[in-house]
Amino acid sequence: MAVVSLKYKSKQGTLTAPGDVDPGAMIPIATVTVGSGGASNAEFTNIPGYYEHLQIRALTKCSNADLTVRAQFNSDTGTNYATHYIEANGSTVAAGAVTSTTYVMVGIAASGTAGQVGGFVLDVLDYSNTSKYKTTRTLSGCDNNGSGYVWPASGLWMSTNAITSIKIFPASGTFQQYASFALYGIKRAGA
Amino acid sequence: MAYTYSKIATYTVGSGGVASIDFINIPQTYTDLIVKFSLRDSSNTGDVWDWLDLTFNSNTSNYSARMVYGTGSATGSVSSTSQIRYAYYVASTSTASTFGNGEIYIPNYTGSNYKSISSDTVSENNATAAIATLQAGLWSNSSAINSISLKARIGFAQYSTAHLYGVKAEL
Repeated sequence: MAVVSLKYKSKQGTLTAPGDVDPGAMIPIATVTVGSGGASNAEFTNIPGYYEHLQIRALTKCSNADLTVRAQFNSDTGTNYATHYIEANGSTVAAGAVTSTTYVMVGIAASGTAGQVGGFVLDVLDYSNTSKYKTTRTLSGCDNNGSGYVWPASGLWMSTNAITSIKIFPASGTFQQYASFALYGIKRAGA
Repeated sequence: MAYTYSKIATYTVGSGGVASIDFINIPQTYTDLIVKFSLRDSSNTGDVWDWLDLTFNSNTSNYSARMVYGTGSATGSVSSTSQIRYAYYVASTSTASTFGNGEIYIPNYTGSNYKSISSDTVSENNATAAIATLQAGLWSNSSAINSISLKARIGFAQYSTAHLYGVKAEL
């Protein structure tokens, strides 16, 4: 096993000080972590428009198992969304779609009650481009120690508005404590 | 200064569309490359989705791939020893103003080994038919990658974008 010791490198003075580190193209914007008592949703508001793309990395724990996690943009509750997904449970695989819905599906959650967690990484490209509808792409999954899903998916929000807020919520029930949602901005090339 | 994930270049398609998007003179200073794209076909192909041909260093041979896909109602897996179609995007009969969303990951692009590729691409559509793919690919060539071409089946529409990023590991 090859191991690189960061402690050793620090002693060598080869680790840069935080102030000297270029943050690169992926910038943390905000994180929502669900507290005790749970929450019906997690929401990011006042999202700045000066990034090129958005990414959400999430740890999902719900009051019920194998729920889809949904999202709405800019508080739009109209039937302006669609989702396509692949669902593999360890023995079978299927594909599905829902259209003209009031939400886009962005992931799948495990039951926090039983101790399991799920996760997803959601990418929204060109989120502030006012010439395009917004297409999401997600890699998601959960394992419940005997059941679970691998769940890649895409979503469509039929609006050319720049995304300024994202509300994330489970299909039913609530998010449980320690469910976590981290929003990142991906810088524009040349920025 | 530690650069871990850096933007290199973006191309935005103007009015009239283009047949391909090329990144050339790619710096050899990163560990991996990532291409993100938001694409739509510019022509009336009559299809729901289209594919792009991905080539490196203007070389059109020695590519292979396998993928799993879902179409909104069915799934499947295919492989090819001549595959350079690592990504899919939105075509003309899908919902207007809708663009695909994809990412291609190219690790160790300057190495002297053959180059492996992974991609995760989706089209979208407010109807049942749309495609999502996960692909693994190989370019059986030991040359360092210094250019990447995304060639449309017909053409990329206005407002399509492609973005190149570099990832640098701590070595």
